[in-house]
Amino acid sequence: MRTVAGARRGLDMWLAQRASAVYMAVFLPVFLFCALTAPGQGYAGWHALFLPLGMKVAALLFVVALLPHAWIGLREIFIDYLHCARCALLRLSLYFAFAVLYLACLVWAVDILWSVR
Amino acid sequence: MKFRIYRYDPESGAKPSMRDYELDIDPQGKKVLDALIAIKDTLDESLSFRRSCREGVCGSDGVNVNGTNVLACITPLEGLKQPIEIRPLPRLGVIRDLIVDMEQFYQHYRAVKPYLINLDPEPENERPQSPEDRAELDGLWECILCGCCTTSCPSFWWNPDKFLGPAALLQGYRFIADTRDQATNERLDFLEDPYRLFRCHGIMNCVEVCPKGLNPTQAVGKIKTLLVKRAL
Repeated sequence: MRTVAGARRGLDMWLAQRASAVYMAVFLPVFLFCALTAPGQGYAGWHALFLPLGMKVAALLFVVALLPHAWIGLREIFIDYLHCARCALLRLSLYFAFAVLYLACLVWAVDILWSVR
Repeated sequence: MKFRIYRYDPESGAKPSMRDYELDIDPQGKKVLDALIAIKDTLDESLSFRRSCREGVCGSDGVNVNGTNVLACITPLEGLKQPIEIRPLPRLGVIRDLIVDMEQFYQHYRAVKPYLINLDPEPENERPQSPEDRAELDGLWECILCGCCTTSCPSFWWNPDKFLGPAALLQGYRFIADTRDQATNERLDFLEDPYRLFRCHGIMNCVEVCPKGLNPTQAVGKIKTLLVKRAL
């Protein structure tokens, strides 16, 4: 059982970053293999590659893994380098700004993937 | 041999500077500390540095030689690029010349409660351990708290007040790993925040410089594993 301690956010973030890395490490080689062995190259090939629902879902999951992975990485950088007393607000603003930006990227990725018909 | 040594005397009011020395010394079999002592004896008696056992046991003469944190007493003079640049350990406040203020370092050390916490009634003689349990502590208890690792760690440079640093984390794990200790949960609770442990990004500067050949990064990894096991 845990007693009440510090902010307790260290482990969650660290673990989430590792877990997302595992998915990306599995997806990327599989995707590259599929892309390189696909029969047609060029627009038609890529269109055919992203047409099945399975590939759409797998690619979207990749984006879902990548964005928090990158956000946590940025958070680490901000914590490391922006640590003056007055930087707290700047850090918080940057977390927020990148969270919004990355969420927008997620919606955009959905739009792109599901536009393939 | 040519030396370039960091000098700072707060009483003089002058800014810190590097001073050059040319010392007539045969480097064969001699250590950096021998040179420092010779400079103090023959060239400049105002040079200040800490030393005690002069054989790598007490951990008081940690300095930065040619950019690497070392114990002056066990670092051979032979093979060092000249002029040999000797500076105080990085990031800690300089009290004078090569003497640094270790208070922050010791604060982190105290924070991990570096002692056995066992609330059972005290036994007649001792709390025995199996040889296997005792072997878990090898590579941990040998730390001499010289500060070479912690002051070579960029995470400590950026957040010296919040990140515990490799030395304190190694000592923290030394008591987490001890089967006689009963406060594992509380110790893990203490470390589970964004700064104390998780500023470590595993770049292993600490492993590279440890004069005792210890591996704080591995200890940090084991603490993380225990945290994950506990959470799942």
